[in-house]
Amino acid sequence: MFYPQEMTRISIIARQDTAVAVTHALAEAGALHLVDARHLGSEIKADLAADWVQKSATYAELERHALALMQTLGVSDSMPQTDGWTSVVDSAAANATLEQIEREARAITERVAGETRKLEQLQSYVQQLTPIREIDIEVSRLSSPRHLFSALGAMPVENVARMRTSLARVPFVLLTLRQDQQQAVVWLLGRRADSDILERAARGAYLNPLSLPEAYQGTPGQILHAVEAEMATVRQRVAAEKAALEDLRRLRQDQLQALLWHVRASHLLADAIAHFGSLRYTYLVVGWVPTARLSQLQARLKGLSSEIVVKTTPVKRSEAGADVPVGLQNPGFLVGFQQLLSNYGWPRYQELDPTAVIGLTFPVLYGAMFGDVGHGLLLALAGLLLASRKVRALAGFAGLGMTIVFCGLAATLFGFLYGSFFGFEGVLPALLFHPLSNIMQILLLAVGGGVVVLVAGFLISIVNAYVDRDWGRLLVGNNGLAGLLLYLSLLGLAAAVALPHFPIPGAWLGILALLSALGVMLSEPLSHAIQGSRHPAPDSVVTAGVEGFFEVFEMLISLLSNSLSYVRVGAFAVAHGGLSAVILILATTASASHGLPYWLVVALGNLVIVGFEGLVVGIQTLRLHYYEFFSKFFTGGGTRYAPLTTPHKANAVEQV
Amino acid sequence: MSLGVVSQYSIVHARARAFSSTLLGPEVWERLYAAKDYAAVIGILRGTLYGAHLAPVEEAALSPRRAVYQLKGRLAQVFSAIIRLAPRHAQPLLAQLYRQFEVDNLKAALRGLMIGDSWDHVRYFLFPLGKDTLLPIEALVRAGSMAAAVDLLRKTSYYPTLAHAMERYTAEQSLFPLEVALDLDYWRQLWRGINQLKGRDRDWALRLAGRLIDMSNLMWALRYRVYHKLSAEEIIDYTLPFGYRLADEDVRAIAAGADMAAIVAHVYPGIARVGSYFDQPEQGLAQLEVRLQQDLAQECRAAFIGYPFHIGIPLAYLLLGQMEIHDLTVLIEAKAMQIPVESFQQHLVIGRPLP
Repeated sequence: MFYPQEMTRISIIARQDTAVAVTHALAEAGALHLVDARHLGSEIKADLAADWVQKSATYAELERHALALMQTLGVSDSMPQTDGWTSVVDSAAANATLEQIEREARAITERVAGETRKLEQLQSYVQQLTPIREIDIEVSRLSSPRHLFSALGAMPVENVARMRTSLARVPFVLLTLRQDQQQAVVWLLGRRADSDILERAARGAYLNPLSLPEAYQGTPGQILHAVEAEMATVRQRVAAEKAALEDLRRLRQDQLQALLWHVRASHLLADAIAHFGSLRYTYLVVGWVPTARLSQLQARLKGLSSEIVVKTTPVKRSEAGADVPVGLQNPGFLVGFQQLLSNYGWPRYQELDPTAVIGLTFPVLYGAMFGDVGHGLLLALAGLLLASRKVRALAGFAGLGMTIVFCGLAATLFGFLYGSFFGFEGVLPALLFHPLSNIMQILLLAVGGGVVVLVAGFLISIVNAYVDRDWGRLLVGNNGLAGLLLYLSLLGLAAAVALPHFPIPGAWLGILALLSALGVMLSEPLSHAIQGSRHPAPDSVVTAGVEGFFEVFEMLISLLSNSLSYVRVGAFAVAHGGLSAVILILATTASASHGLPYWLVVALGNLVIVGFEGLVVGIQTLRLHYYEFFSKFFTGGGTRYAPLTTPHKANAVEQV
Repeated sequence: MSLGVVSQYSIVHARARAFSSTLLGPEVWERLYAAKDYAAVIGILRGTLYGAHLAPVEEAALSPRRAVYQLKGRLAQVFSAIIRLAPRHAQPLLAQLYRQFEVDNLKAALRGLMIGDSWDHVRYFLFPLGKDTLLPIEALVRAGSMAAAVDLLRKTSYYPTLAHAMERYTAEQSLFPLEVALDLDYWRQLWRGINQLKGRDRDWALRLAGRLIDMSNLMWALRYRVYHKLSAEEIIDYTLPFGYRLADEDVRAIAAGADMAAIVAHVYPGIARVGSYFDQPEQGLAQLEVRLQQDLAQECRAAFIGYPFHIGIPLAYLLLGQMEIHDLTVLIEAKAMQIPVESFQQHLVIGRPLP
């Protein structure tokens, strides 16, 4: 739990014809973090990788094709029941299948689209004819009068004014018969002699003239009647085609889903194989496997073929490079804290995983700032609700549910210490004291707590340096032994000044502070002297000394600001009490006799405190960890362990 | 000075200023001009912020078109970032400006469909909008027919415009009515976006986006008259009745056959020797357009001086970013075709080396 999973480097050599089977076995095992080995053996010009890069592109194209087709048919991409696929899909056959289904679907969708367009056309006739349905003259005569230019039709509303402007040089009449948000039904009339101008203007303004098919003859009212009858028929045809599409969907759904996921599995295998190194007759797989799962993976490979050569190289934590992937191993209830950590950085292989530590410090600091039994329990309940995924809209934050529960419980605990229950300070006895009445004590206690957290940070840094076998960093680094001694001796000096009976003499502490400051100041040349292979020699001792001096100066400021930063823990505890008191004053103002308005204000006020102040305190806690605590020991920059897996396994994990 | 406005604009202002400092400087343009061929241009660009966008493509696959596509990726990234950081009331106008690339992509897809181009050929002509667009561009190219393509857009805001213009497409079998309808709709919405702003924001939006509308509208009117020989009525129908300095009367005068040079000189008094662009208007219009863009670029630079908490700064940076991509496109294509500097530099807007 305190260190990432131990990893072993693995190299697998197998015959080229076993590439798919071996990759499938590796993906099924779900343990191998693949490393790009394409450069290995490239001088032989064996084209295994290039071939699979091409195949990968083909599978990606097939996947897109299948998804587009499934979208057309309304088939979901949920995974069918399967144990997985042991071979890659035959791309030609898959493509033929998709094209066949596409032809079947296209025939129907094109008919649906055609009928829908027809329906829209008929709808457009209805729109254009309705305003003139009472006119008892044949439409053909209205559209082509003997001595006039006439254009009855629909156009975009926004073009109407522009067309008027464009016709400024000829006489015309433009009647807007009907208008909705987008379209206007208009009737443009002018002199037949100006037909050319009027026609160009109408066309330029996108006036689509009403042009009825031959079948529609008669007055507007008669034509409307016929059009509406035709619309009913077309609607029936659309419904029939949609039913046919639904039949096709039902018929092809399983086949399409199986094909899609087989293609996805093949794509994944092809991508993996494209990263293998090619030899003349064999290929080379390079990667990392958690040591605990190594024998299981080896057994699986041996079961596949006796001709597979597996070479493993255990890597000591202290000797590991930056390329070792890091798989954290924390129990489920710490996942939320791990998320907070990963937002800051991913630990290196040599580094202590601080998830469990922040699993303790985060709720404690949060609870200290938000101490109230009622608020804490409410928060814990909200966290439980979040973790249960019962609220769909918040399911994405379910990982943080348990973190909130712990914070809520810590707030409850501190609530007992502060004697606060939903802001009321007289209901419960304070096991420690009320922050609002003991401001200096709570602030000093907060700084004291901060010192403990910072010292813990120094200790973790020292442990990290030890594991890394970096003796320079351990002994004279900023956050090493010298840094810790400097910090403690300065704290001791401050205590000696403040407390007359402090047991350690100030002079000793002063000497210790000076010596440790000197150590930090000369950390560069000293580290080089201790472990030259890891620490390059400084340009000169004088330069290193000057740089070191400023470094110590900066360190002192940073130690002071880091420690004082924790004052906020006490300040927020006071603010929490103050805010609750304000709510109670407001409630009393609303109803001195503690009637319904009093309780309404109390309830609303408490909701605001839990929601708003709870969030602010969360941000402050995060800030204390990211800026004050982590900066003491956490480097980050590790590579996440991402094992090769099959789509159905990945899908199962996603479901969980 | 409202503190609210300052806080709303502080982040986007800082970001736009930081971005603007990454625009290619004259010394880079100097080297780009001097580059002996296309490969050398790419080599220089790899050393700039565009390098990260060129890196994912292998050298052999980096054709000039692909390179331009990759460079546009940076502009897309910048647009997304600026829009995300802008105050809520400023976002619609910036998003509308960004939508210009979506309209261009849509037009490119319809063109590809009409001439039966393959998706692989069309895709790198597009602007890489990634997740910032919901248009099924690949499906449009593969739609088979224009009617089917328009059907695919049924759930988008483009559908009513295109569905109405389809009647003309069917009759004329030309993309012209579809493209004009899309453009008019786009620019009207941009104008609406400008007018939804208030106070200093509206002033700056007019000075920059309004100028952009002027430029586009004026060039349309001139081209419709010079190249397309359209009637006065059609020119008016295909242009916009609003703008920053270009009035409807100016457009109508161009449509009616008035002296084009006099109108341009009246609208842009700062541009010298306007008449020279119209000596041979078929060639001069392209030059005039570059000159108008330079005028806009100058206004964009002016936005960075003085009171900073308004939409002008993000808007100005985005427009300058577009101009830089335009210039890089010209330069890359020219270098790839081994066109000498003298022949292409007149087409560049802001990409100038040290004097």
